[in-house]
Amino acid sequence: MNQLLTYSVYGTAILVMMIGIYAMLTKKNLIKIVIGMSILDSGFNLLLIALGYIKGGTAPIFSPAVEGKDVIMVDPIPQALVLTAIVIGFGVTAVALSLVIRLYRKHNTIKIDEIKTLRW
Amino acid sequence: MVANPILYIALPLFTAFLVPLLAKLWKPLVRIVPGLVLAYLAIMSIVLMQQVGPDKPIITMIAGWKAPWGINLVFTSFSGFIASLISILAFFIWLYSFKFKKVEFDDAQKYFILFMLLTAGSIGVVLTGDIFNMFVFVEITSLSAYALTAFYKGRDGAEAAFKFLLIGAFSSIMLLLGISILYAYTGTLNMAQLAMLMPQVPMKAKVVSFLLFFVALGIEAEMFPLNGWAPDAYSQAPGPIAASFAGILAKAGIYALIRVSYTIFDLGNDGGFDLLLVMGLITMVVSELVAMRQENLRRMLAYSSMGQMGLIMIAFGLGTKEGIYAGLFIMFNHAVIKSLLFLASAYLVYYTSRKKISDLDGFGKLLPVTSLLFGLGAFAIVGLPPFSGFWSKLSLLVATADSHMEFVLATILAVSVIEIIYYFRVLGRLYFRKANKEIKVRKPTWNSTVSMIVLAIVIIGVGLHPDFITGLLHNAAADLADKAGYIQKIIPDLFSQTLN
Amino acid sequence: MRKLVILSLLLVLGYFLLNTFAGAEFGKDRKVLANYYLEKSPSELQVANTVTAIVVNFRGFDTLGEVTVLFLAATGMGTILLRRRSKHTGLNPMRTSPEASKIVQAAGKLLFPAIMILGAYVFIHGHLTPGGGFQGGAIIATGFLLLLISYRQFKVEHKYVTWIESLAGLTFVSIGLLGIVLGPHNSFLENFLNVGTLNELTSGGVIALVYIAVGFKVAAELTGILDTLVNIRETGDID
Repeated sequence: MNQLLTYSVYGTAILVMMIGIYAMLTKKNLIKIVIGMSILDSGFNLLLIALGYIKGGTAPIFSPAVEGKDVIMVDPIPQALVLTAIVIGFGVTAVALSLVIRLYRKHNTIKIDEIKTLRW
Repeated sequence: MVANPILYIALPLFTAFLVPLLAKLWKPLVRIVPGLVLAYLAIMSIVLMQQVGPDKPIITMIAGWKAPWGINLVFTSFSGFIASLISILAFFIWLYSFKFKKVEFDDAQKYFILFMLLTAGSIGVVLTGDIFNMFVFVEITSLSAYALTAFYKGRDGAEAAFKFLLIGAFSSIMLLLGISILYAYTGTLNMAQLAMLMPQVPMKAKVVSFLLFFVALGIEAEMFPLNGWAPDAYSQAPGPIAASFAGILAKAGIYALIRVSYTIFDLGNDGGFDLLLVMGLITMVVSELVAMRQENLRRMLAYSSMGQMGLIMIAFGLGTKEGIYAGLFIMFNHAVIKSLLFLASAYLVYYTSRKKISDLDGFGKLLPVTSLLFGLGAFAIVGLPPFSGFWSKLSLLVATADSHMEFVLATILAVSVIEIIYYFRVLGRLYFRKANKEIKVRKPTWNSTVSMIVLAIVIIGVGLHPDFITGLLHNAAADLADKAGYIQKIIPDLFSQTLN
Repeated sequence: MRKLVILSLLLVLGYFLLNTFAGAEFGKDRKVLANYYLEKSPSELQVANTVTAIVVNFRGFDTLGEVTVLFLAATGMGTILLRRRSKHTGLNPMRTSPEASKIVQAAGKLLFPAIMILGAYVFIHGHLTPGGGFQGGAIIATGFLLLLISYRQFKVEHKYVTWIESLAGLTFVSIGLLGIVLGPHNSFLENFLNVGTLNELTSGGVIALVYIAVGFKVAAELTGILDTLVNIRETGDID
């Protein structure tokens, strides 16, 4: 049972990541590529949060509700890391979108194959 | 003076937040203040380098928690050497771009902030002792690099930056995946503790994680085939930024790659070093061959830079102490010489929008000093005596011969010939062709000249008297090779627990 | 064809990743560092929310980096988009969508103060409840986004944004530097104030102060970024 849970939870997160990479590699529309990037980020965040889960764990907050009780708390470190990863992902997405705006202004298109200088 | 490694990060960040306010007082402050900060860091590097020794690294706690509980900065002979190299080089690049007439106040403010944060981020990558913190600094470095690549509106900067960003975003996820695999198996993020717990990690996870790190950091370190971003970024970014990509960004990337493969993973003898060696060899051969066919000066220098990074990877891929020494020596030389080449080339192609090599005819007479400095850099980078490049290449050849890798030795020599050919083609244009009459020439400003001359003096000085630097390099090489020492110095308590 | 190649490559990558992560069982207790944090956070720092203790104190250096990344994103967008000597025309000609309806406008105005208060609440109570500077800052930025969507004329004054983001950033680094001077271990970002008692608003020492600074900074930064994207101050082509 636990094996099934392990595969399904991590598998879902990795599937989301793969969808993101697929979009980044195959889409022709710059905005869609940026969306792919975002999906990739989200997939990773899902994975990291799942890593921090501990069976039967509650939120790692010592509120009056848990005072004096013997509770298991989930691993707080991945949550802190995800916060960092989200913010950094946001920053990169914002810069990417502003680059797309500039490319659109210059070439009047957001199709990647109509912008010659973007080819490798 | 207060010398604390934390200032490498705290001071540039403080200034970056302060500069927009200072600009309201007096506009030239946006140029001056970042320079003062970089100067302070450069002097601090010298002070710290004197304090640090083989057995006494400077380990800085953050937030009062000892490693591995908190993040720490580790200034050792090795990391300190690279950090000092970066900070001193950054000061001279700032000096070079101090006047930067082409941009106006608003842009100048952003330029200097971004440049300063690029430097701070790179030093952070080098000094941090925490693997996730390294990721944060890699992102700081990359984000400033994206913005600086797209700095000029007239060029194809946005395209180059977008490519750079896509590869960078991909690499950051690979890096995060590698980190999270390590976290999943060990439950820690501190680099020393990771190194200590590494034998517990199953082989399969170790290999996958190592490959993820390798790919992610290989992108920063300009490893083939992940370096697609580099030629465009180098050729579209402003001249001094191209210099700092070669001297600062790529150095931080290769440092991280080496730290991960030498200290954290214990895969060196199970193929980790061989992978580094092979990838270095491929990178070098491919880049140098492509460099020969370039018509754009900047792109040629960019490919040459990748070739040099390949050389560094080969040196570290040997896995011997001599190899590490040679690798560090090449890193030092590449940082200084390539920066000089990029800085000089910025004036050589100042008014030509396509930056073609064929537009350089007769510049030897028009810009005597700049051309001379460029020539000097070219001689040094291909490894001709009496310049510093000669000694580093020699030490690499000796290290390769010691490891009995004749094939690698022969390849390096063959590639050196290619290097000589394409650099001398440029020099031939500079000195043995007649100048085009209508050509416009931009004289370098005094500050740029000073900064280029200082770099040239370093090249000649180390070339004539390599002992200036070999002591430092030997210490640094010994420090990197001593993995158990690294763990013991950072987490002494945990280390002794495992021994008992 | 190309898509097939990519798909098969992704399949291989996904297989290896899944296999590797599956080796580390889901729901397993792997706390090495975490137990230390869970123990020290309520005892030594008197911070109820362990995640906040980690984000602001144990790994506070990361957070400084994050804040810098946001700052860089805002600065970088300015470099990428703003045109020199641009004539400020006020309206972005690319925003062709019609003005939002009266209902949306009125509701936006009505909701705005409530959103501000919620955001401020979230970042002030970051050390007690789920949430904190980043979350609160993001909530505040959504308030401005609401106004940007409902009023075409609405512009954020970049002058104020610059002031707030600079001052908040300076506060963060200054608190960090004060830690070197005043903290018991003389280290950066260290707590040097009385930590108070668990689950009170005044607990946590500098952690609460830093998170408030982060809240202001994130709010200013995100608002600035949104405004840059919505009201790009240039028309026609670049160059």
